[in-house]
Amino acid sequence: MPTGELLTIPFDVYRYDPADGSTPRYARYTLELAPHTPVLTALLRIRSEIDPSLALRYSCRSAICGSCAMLVNSKSRLACQTQVGPEFAEHGRIVIDPMSNQPVIRDLVVDQSPFWKEYERIVPHLILDPMHPMPEGRPTSMSPAQVARFEETPRCIACGSCYSACPAVAADPAFPGPMALAKLYRFVVDPRDTASQDRLMRIQPGGLWTCLRCHLCTSSCPKDVRPSERIRDLKEMAIAAQGATERGSRHAVGFKDNIAERGLLNESKLVRQTDGIVGMIGQIPQGLRMLRRKPEILRAPHAIEGQDEVQRIYELLEDAGEDGT
Amino acid sequence: MRYAYYPGCVAQESGKELDLSTRWVCRKLGIELVEVPKFSCCGSGFLDEANLTLNVALNARNLALAEKQGLDILTICSTCQGMLSFSNLQYRKPEMKTRVDGALGQLGIHYSGQTKVTHLLEVLARSVTPEKLAGLVVRPLRGLKVGAFYGCHLLRPADELRSESAEEPHSFEEIIRALGATPVYYRGRVMCCGFPILFVNPASANRIAAHQIEDAKSHGADAMATPCPLCHISLDGYQNHASKAAGHDLDMPIFHLPQLVGLALGASPEELGLPRHLVATEAAIAKIGQVAVPA
Amino acid sequence: MRKHDVLVIGAGLAGQRAALAAAQAGRSVGILTKLHPLRSHSGAAQGGINAAVGAQDSVETHIYDTVKGSDYLGDQDAIEFFCTEAPKIVVEMEHFGTIFSRAEDGSLAARPFGGAGFPRTIYAADRTGLALLQALYEHLGSVDVTVYEEWDLVDLVLRGSRVQGVVAYHRRTGELDGFSAPAVVFATGPFGRMYSRTTNSHSSTGDGVAVAYRAGAWLKDMEFVQFHPTALIEDGILITEGARGEGGILKNGRGERFMSKYAPHVHELASRDVVSRAIYTEVLEGRGFPGGYVHLELMHLGKEKIESRLQEICDFCRNFAGIDPVTEPIPIMPGQHYMMGGISTNLRGETNIAGLYAAGEAACVSIHGANRLGGNSLLETLVFGKQAGIAAAAFAPTVPGAEVLPEDVRAAKDRIEGMKRRTEGPTPLPLRAELQKIMEEDVGIYRTAEELTRALGRLAELKVKSRDLRIPDPSHVFNLNVTDALETLHLIDLAEVVVAGALARTESRGAHARRDYPKRDDANWMKHTIASYRPEGPQLSYAPVAYTRWEPKERVY
Repeated sequence: MPTGELLTIPFDVYRYDPADGSTPRYARYTLELAPHTPVLTALLRIRSEIDPSLALRYSCRSAICGSCAMLVNSKSRLACQTQVGPEFAEHGRIVIDPMSNQPVIRDLVVDQSPFWKEYERIVPHLILDPMHPMPEGRPTSMSPAQVARFEETPRCIACGSCYSACPAVAADPAFPGPMALAKLYRFVVDPRDTASQDRLMRIQPGGLWTCLRCHLCTSSCPKDVRPSERIRDLKEMAIAAQGATERGSRHAVGFKDNIAERGLLNESKLVRQTDGIVGMIGQIPQGLRMLRRKPEILRAPHAIEGQDEVQRIYELLEDAGEDGT
Repeated sequence: MRYAYYPGCVAQESGKELDLSTRWVCRKLGIELVEVPKFSCCGSGFLDEANLTLNVALNARNLALAEKQGLDILTICSTCQGMLSFSNLQYRKPEMKTRVDGALGQLGIHYSGQTKVTHLLEVLARSVTPEKLAGLVVRPLRGLKVGAFYGCHLLRPADELRSESAEEPHSFEEIIRALGATPVYYRGRVMCCGFPILFVNPASANRIAAHQIEDAKSHGADAMATPCPLCHISLDGYQNHASKAAGHDLDMPIFHLPQLVGLALGASPEELGLPRHLVATEAAIAKIGQVAVPA
Repeated sequence: MRKHDVLVIGAGLAGQRAALAAAQAGRSVGILTKLHPLRSHSGAAQGGINAAVGAQDSVETHIYDTVKGSDYLGDQDAIEFFCTEAPKIVVEMEHFGTIFSRAEDGSLAARPFGGAGFPRTIYAADRTGLALLQALYEHLGSVDVTVYEEWDLVDLVLRGSRVQGVVAYHRRTGELDGFSAPAVVFATGPFGRMYSRTTNSHSSTGDGVAVAYRAGAWLKDMEFVQFHPTALIEDGILITEGARGEGGILKNGRGERFMSKYAPHVHELASRDVVSRAIYTEVLEGRGFPGGYVHLELMHLGKEKIESRLQEICDFCRNFAGIDPVTEPIPIMPGQHYMMGGISTNLRGETNIAGLYAAGEAACVSIHGANRLGGNSLLETLVFGKQAGIAAAAFAPTVPGAEVLPEDVRAAKDRIEGMKRRTEGPTPLPLRAELQKIMEEDVGIYRTAEELTRALGRLAELKVKSRDLRIPDPSHVFNLNVTDALETLHLIDLAEVVVAGALARTESRGAHARRDYPKRDDANWMKHTIASYRPEGPQLSYAPVAYTRWEPKERVY
């Protein structure tokens, strides 16, 4: 069997069992492993050879069931799809923690109900219009181009890695998280669904616009679903369909208008555009603090050379926004 | 080393100290910055949400401006770097290219897709190299423990335009080490600063900023340094808000990348615009030269 | 104590389709699963689902291909029904929201599959199972069904001959509880984990099949075990047939392209059973690599073709075996892949116990007979899941209130607590490993009376040992050792049935290959094996194959 050289790798695994009344701790297990060994295989060896009481979820061991998401050296990963070699090379050990943003049940097992609740909240099934029933006895016609519009979203295995990695979820429990929003996108672009506009409208307050565009969801996704990019698409669709109705969309549209004037950002004006005059008042103390150190922020910036070109591009592409249909 | 210099909006306004320190450092290192007064805003991750095609077209224009001069672009902002790269990728999609070329063509602008976009951090790490940089240091930052803070758009989404791991980068720490300081490794270094929602969901933005600063602090950082002026706004400009969210004064000085380099290469705090910061950097600077406690 | 009209065990495609059908009939429905429904093993199916929807295809040829593929052990009336339902079932799934791949004209795209006379396998990229599972689960969200997650099935409760419900173990709390229902559908999937090299998930432990068997349900044709020729040697992960379809070749330890000996015309493109047996023969006769395996080589195809046409395989090799198929050969061996046998049902999902239904890979109707065709297993889950749901929903109101009693729960609890209290005795995982060793060594692709007899003996010893099984963890919170123990006991009982059936069947048919009886023997063996539970070991009897229009012929491709 082509195993190559074995590495002696220390694992520090988060252990916590509410049943025994002890506090969380890290247990150290040391294993001899080939570099390409999946972390899951290592954990299962710990279970079968060292300590069977280690609790974790796993099933398919081939990155399709989505059970074994956890933190591998602080990164949200599927244990079955992460090899020990590179992790050991980078950190000199492998620290295993349960996923973030979900309460721990025991050891590496978390309560995923916050994640599933957000998924349920986007109404994840086709909403049909009784006036336009599905064709009787035959499939809906859908071109390969229409199928391509789903982008990468059908690959999602609901493992929760993105939800665990998302700092917006950590900061604001009202934020639905990357998976639910990518799922929403999947229904918004589905030609069989008749509630796209309604879906876009309902997701906006407290939902869509808290995304930070940090792309941690995309880098932690084991199936390359790219949730952050679909959230971006949803934002553009929401603005195109419903205009700037939220603080977040006002900020984006304000930004667009702001750049149009001089080609560069007018920072203080942007705050006005997003907050309106009333909201601005709340920003005054901070503005004064800044002004002491950075007096130029009150001046409008210079216009770039060739601003006429920028304006012309605006005129030509003003209506090129995504309309969500 | 000669680049079309893309300072971005913030470094020309509230973050002028970044532009100042960049020019000082590049002079010192023989990096020639070619001014392109026609550059427009990169879109900052907001414009594309309103109109992606428009954003890509504006950046294609920026990229074409550099291409015309036969230069690659040097950015000093993670977000500018991210948005220009993102636009470069978007421009490769046939449908997008058709729409963008259609608009730019009417202005007689042609972009062939060849312009490379490089951030100052990458230039320091790959072109100047940490070894050479270390040789130029006149005031080693010994004793100073610095937490690098990369800024998301320099790292993610990972694609063929990125030169580093999306969640385990090293270039910044290599620079910090070359300057004589001690890099602090903490998870927050690759996380979000909160800036993108600072004006949309400020409470959450402040919590996020506070979290990263506390993470750096708990790993022993005396200061943080960032290659992104937007992160700087969130971490320095609004640190008082983050402190409120944390429930105590965070008191974490935040350097721009070229400021940290400039300090080690002998620039004065004034030459680097350090007095413009909202969180004072004096205490951190005073630590330089003191013997570091091994981490 | 929970109560439903219809209780479904298992939330893969068969279980969910049954639940949907029963809910649509107006019944109160509960689904109990040891995972989350979206984590079910149905999601791992890549290839596709067969349905004669193309204008030039016909249901008739689908029937013929399936009958022939089954090596004439499939019930022809059931196969006829199965293939006739197929287009309807696929259209339904499309209407529920499945994102199928499409042809240019907007119709469902179809690809050719082994053993089929026509491209009739409908697919969703290389993740058809996942696409169906997502769509069905999401559609199920629009009807009223209660899902109980992470409950392990422990017992089926009968009073007299009547189903009362089940007892199950909640992983999260350690609670044992009764679920009362007059109609119970078992859709718990396969039991491939009795082998160590299997493409099945770790959860594929035959829970429902074993529990039903012990309660008196008949098991059918359990000796028919399909091996997939190309599983990664280390962990049995499946390398799809696409690898050979695109020109991948097999080489033995001497560097010989050995398939030319076994299939001089089609080489590596021969059917699954032929290729699996060829690989086995090479290794058995000492021409494998040290450690016992052969190489699947793709290198000659070139980086570009490998990375564009075989992306999935590339990812699997790189992620799970640390092998780059662009520059290195892939070490493979055949691995257990599919169980043709299961709980014996008719085409309405009914078993020999009134009120107990079964569907999917846990059941044996039988459609696949001695050998399943690619693309027929996803179809089976949906066609017969639906039938079982309809039948269970119709049956439930005809019997007065079923009830699982506290003493039923207590009996299960006592067994588990007993295993927890033990301080000596084998623990579940090593015991399971022993079982897997027996099955790999003595009950592989090729079988002989000698090996099978030895296996029976070893299993009997293992069974004795298992009476002292000990759960090495006292916790009541997510104690996986309880699950391990239950599953291991299930697998041991089922392994015994597989071996007994295989030993008795003195012929070779489909996936059942006896070295000592290499020919199909229609005169004596065109019949189903039926196993029923006896504490000392399975009792075998035989039932006729339903036979309508298709005369048995030699199966050549």
